[in-house]
Amino acid sequence: MSKTETSPEKPVVSSRHVNFWFGEGDLKKQVLFDVCMEVAPGEIVLLTGPSGSGKTTLLTLVGALRKVRDGELDVLSRPLHAVSLNDLVDVRREIGFIFQQHNLLPFLTARQNVELMFELHRDVSHGDASRLTEDLLTSVGLADRMDYYPAKLSGGQKQRVAVARALVTSPNLILADEPTAALDSHSGRDVVTLLQELARDRNCPILMVTHDPRILDIADRIINMEDGRVETVK
Amino acid sequence: MKLAVAAAGVVVAVMLMLVQLGIRQGALDNSVAVARRVTADLVVVSPRTKTIFASAQFPRRLLYRLGSSEDVVEIGEMYMGQGRFRNPWNKLEFPVSIYGINPHSPMMNLPGIERFADKLELTDRVLYDGLSRTNYGPVVKYLKEHGTLDVEVNLRKIQLVDTIDVGISINADGNLFMSPANFQRMFPGRQSGSVDLGLIRIRDGVSAEAVRDQLSQYLGQEAKVLTRDQLIDSEILFIRENAPLDFIFGMGAAVGFFIGFVVVYQILYTEVTNHMPQYATLKAMGFSDRYLLRMVVSQAMILSLLGYFPGFVLALGLYRVATNAIQMEFSMTVERAIAVFVLTMIMCGLSAIIAIRKVRTADPADVF
Repeated sequence: MSKTETSPEKPVVSSRHVNFWFGEGDLKKQVLFDVCMEVAPGEIVLLTGPSGSGKTTLLTLVGALRKVRDGELDVLSRPLHAVSLNDLVDVRREIGFIFQQHNLLPFLTARQNVELMFELHRDVSHGDASRLTEDLLTSVGLADRMDYYPAKLSGGQKQRVAVARALVTSPNLILADEPTAALDSHSGRDVVTLLQELARDRNCPILMVTHDPRILDIADRIINMEDGRVETVK
Repeated sequence: MKLAVAAAGVVVAVMLMLVQLGIRQGALDNSVAVARRVTADLVVVSPRTKTIFASAQFPRRLLYRLGSSEDVVEIGEMYMGQGRFRNPWNKLEFPVSIYGINPHSPMMNLPGIERFADKLELTDRVLYDGLSRTNYGPVVKYLKEHGTLDVEVNLRKIQLVDTIDVGISINADGNLFMSPANFQRMFPGRQSGSVDLGLIRIRDGVSAEAVRDQLSQYLGQEAKVLTRDQLIDSEILFIRENAPLDFIFGMGAAVGFFIGFVVVYQILYTEVTNHMPQYATLKAMGFSDRYLLRMVVSQAMILSLLGYFPGFVLALGLYRVATNAIQMEFSMTVERAIAVFVLTMIMCGLSAIIAIRKVRTADPADVF
């Protein structure tokens, strides 16, 4: 696993004058305008804004899920605007993703869903992978549910498995898209607190898109977006 | 649940392929069964004979020429004809194959025939094939209880003195074995001195092909000499050219393959489509297309294993049913089992590869 070095001064994410469009020709719609932002090591940054503000699009660019066409974007010391599609796939492996829908594989147990991530990091031994999986699932409070299938878990529990899955390979960056949207306030709060603790323990920065006003207090910084432009708060 | 449906599709495909190919082989084997029973090293036939079941005759005196070769140890004759056997119980007539052979040394694999040799020398005494179909009536049972049975064949009264188990084929529902003299009596209309098949035993140590070539020179254009293997090959060739076994049963097997393919493809495609968000998620997390392809292909391979064994067992059952119903032997061979297994893997693998193409379109960015 070629982990990138994160020095205290160098930002983990740095975007400079990024513009992004959807569609071609007459149907072209610009969704990001001159976006400049950064995420420092260990920071928890929230991206807020009304729907259509481009925050999710920005997240997909940072996550190496879309190709940057205009502007510069450095993530984990890689210039995403200048790499090939194959390299983008490699970068994804160093990022932990948490989605709105947990998207766990229904035919695998919670444990297997989390352990699956080690398929992308073959240098970790089987024994270590097992242990890391168990430890993490225990930290998210699912010690006694590890061998359950997703169908038998509640929404909150499934999202916690998703959090474990995102963190188990010790990524250097976590990207989350509205992780609490499908949860009630109690579970939502739990998940976010968990995320915060685990991230702090590992000094792993989090960039999270959210609508949820209840969890804004966990942020170090909040970036508000509107119509594809950035306005920073706090 | 869906797994069960897909596996069922594989089971049907496997069973169809095995049964179709098995019946084709059985039909083929049965048709050449008589040729296979020949134990002579060389066989002499008329040049006009295409198959021994519809053989043209040639003069017996040609065989006598062959005695002058020092490699020839024994010369025998075989006569073949078709007769009409009247079932003594219901008075209906059915075709029957009639063989005229020397019961002391038939040069054919007819185990036990020496026991009847003396009886068959008597006028109009005939052996009945115990494995003949039941059209002719409960002959075997009657013979067990009463010893002999008078029947009418080709409007001639003959006596069945015993049974011998040989086996029937597509060409004949039953067989009768008699001495050459009785055969002549049975078929008075035949040209006297003409024979259907000459049987030659050669001395040890010489190659059959060499003696064949040598004897061919004695006979020139008037008769053909074949080795036993050549005889079998030419019978097989005749069947394949004249009865479209390959086409009919080959088509049947292909249909089986197609059915399995379609069912597996449908199920896999539906599975993939239903799980697009999950596949897109995996892609977002960094799994390559190739990894996902391997996932789906391995699902397909498991499916082929799950479906093969029940299909195999079912096919064995069907072979048994066919054997009993048609009274011909249908059985499994190792080559066929392996060949169909490979075909099954290919069938499932192909389905997976085509179904997976949908996954390539899973855009990880859309998961958000």
